[in-house]
Amino acid sequence: MIKGNLKRDKENRIAKFLVSGPPLLFLIVFFAAPSLIMILTSFRFPGEFGGLAPLVSPAGAAPGEFGLTPEAYQFFFSNVLYAEIFLKSFGVAAATTLICLIMAYPLALLIARSEKRFRNLMVLLVVLPFASNFLIRIYAWMIILGPESGFSHAVNAVLGAFGMGPVTLLFSPFAVMVGMVYVHLPFMVLPLYTNLEKHDSSLLDAALDLGASAWQRFWLITWPLSLPGVFSGAALVFIPVLGMFAVPDILGGTGDILIGNLIKDQFLGTRDWPFGSALSIMLTLAVLSVAGLATWFARSAIGSVHKV
Amino acid sequence: MKSRRFPRVALASFVLVCAMFTVGCARQDENAVSASRENVLYLFNWNNYIAPETVKHFEKLCNCKFSQDYYSDNEEMLAKLAAGASGYDLIVPTGNAIDTLIRQGALRPLDKSLLPNLKNINPIYLDTAFDPGNIYSVPYAYTLTLLGFNQEKVKELDLPTDTWAIIFEPKYLEKIKGRVTVLDSQRELMAAALRYLGYSVNDADESHWKQATDLIVRAKPYWAAFSNTSYIKELAIGNLWVAHGYSNDMFQAAMDAKKTGRKFTIGYSTPKEGTVLSLDSMVLHQRGSRPDLAHQFINFMLDGKNSAELTNLIGSGNPNSAALQYIQPEIAENKAIFPDAESLVRLEMLRDLDRKQRRLLSRLWTEIKLR
Repeated sequence: MIKGNLKRDKENRIAKFLVSGPPLLFLIVFFAAPSLIMILTSFRFPGEFGGLAPLVSPAGAAPGEFGLTPEAYQFFFSNVLYAEIFLKSFGVAAATTLICLIMAYPLALLIARSEKRFRNLMVLLVVLPFASNFLIRIYAWMIILGPESGFSHAVNAVLGAFGMGPVTLLFSPFAVMVGMVYVHLPFMVLPLYTNLEKHDSSLLDAALDLGASAWQRFWLITWPLSLPGVFSGAALVFIPVLGMFAVPDILGGTGDILIGNLIKDQFLGTRDWPFGSALSIMLTLAVLSVAGLATWFARSAIGSVHKV
Repeated sequence: MKSRRFPRVALASFVLVCAMFTVGCARQDENAVSASRENVLYLFNWNNYIAPETVKHFEKLCNCKFSQDYYSDNEEMLAKLAAGASGYDLIVPTGNAIDTLIRQGALRPLDKSLLPNLKNINPIYLDTAFDPGNIYSVPYAYTLTLLGFNQEKVKELDLPTDTWAIIFEPKYLEKIKGRVTVLDSQRELMAAALRYLGYSVNDADESHWKQATDLIVRAKPYWAAFSNTSYIKELAIGNLWVAHGYSNDMFQAAMDAKKTGRKFTIGYSTPKEGTVLSLDSMVLHQRGSRPDLAHQFINFMLDGKNSAELTNLIGSGNPNSAALQYIQPEIAENKAIFPDAESLVRLEMLRDLDRKQRRLLSRLWTEIKLR
């Protein structure tokens, strides 16, 4: 009896390991190990030629800066500048996510509610831009938003009709936002569509029978049911936008620096790996805490819906 | 149970990662070994930094093959070498990067008896601060950091073109607001501001840097963007009227505007306050396997005719006195490419900063971008 239990226990454990092992290994190799390397890097001294100073003083070397130091973090907190850049980046990421949601939701709904034979074609059209290189698409926006473009002329003609001065579209926060939204829109459409497509249409029919208006049917049925899609879409947009440096580099003006640009600078121009790593870790911590908050919020939101 | 199993998994993955690294390194060494058997010269060079006909001539002369890999800035080149890239016989870095490579012990001293054409180099470009006595490096070509402008617009608005004031002084900037870009480079922009304030480009005094930062922050609202490459196209199209950039890029912008038949011309000139001279030199990599071919190539490139081909192609400055007679007259007479003795005095090469200075400059740069 006892022996049998033990055996089953052991089998269970092996089965559990077989199921959870590969994803765990994946996380260790591709998340935990790199993060540990980054944490260690952030506590070291930058090397004279980039890279890192050795951990232990090489034999016969002049006494210099070896070993570990919290200097990078002290530098981070020594100036309010870096907190400002974090706040600004989170603001841009939040705005991009919101705009993507507002633009993607009607589109996803349209695709999900259209005839089945058109759906795959429409999804294909959403994904189609990925067929050309991301940088080429951003450079195309440079031409569209450039001061001599037809689009710029049209916008300024409209503004002029209302007596407002001409505006430059390129190299502005507006251009950065356009680029960010353009690049990340499909990442919002796809999870929303996957979610909306699964909705049971009989729920809406029932609501109609019970006299719900179009708005009530959306707000009380479709929207709450789509929340998981909204949250996964938001995560897929919010997190990459935080790390994006190419869009502000190409479309941004003189003030459009984001946290991604700052981190990139530390590894290339400034050759300061420890500070770059410290910035990355602060960013990871910030993203994790936002994701934690969002999960908590999502759980309580979905939970409260179910209670109703 | 879980917690006890965890370290074993971690250990296994660590071993796996190490194994992957070792395999990667072994691969690279294999490359180097196979290179020694072949009759190939491996060059690690800037993008578009040798004329195609020059390559053909050399392959015929040495009866060997010529292979190039490219980088688009010195930091990228240093990072690739630091990450273990090997097998290159020759590299063409800028002065401050050569400084770094020498101190790292990554370079092989030159055998000057194999380089009789070294006499062709103008002595001004020899015996530089980063390689005194030219033990490791032979000058290849140079660029100047300067101002490019739309000649018609500048004339129409009555703006001076021979001073940094045009990108720093609000009284001029007012007329060209949103039509100016400056380089997206901490060192280059700081160098321009420092020269304008009367300091050396290598001045690392914190108070001088603060003054330069203030100057930049005051001028920033008038600039359209920080741009390292897109200014070439935007100048040639006519969207930009003034740009802070490199002489060979301005040469390209001017050629593009001419080729596409624009109604304006692109001019460029060195500011009278002085500017940065970036001298690129050929150096032998310590781990290169064909120093014989590398020396042959350096001597070949020191020949005036071969050296002139690059200048005629991209408008780069040429430190080779014997090349002048082969260079197209409109390039040879351009003072923004071949500075006269008077402006040569005010050209400086950038030296490397130490880590504390780099961190401070990076913070000032962040401040500049954020304000």
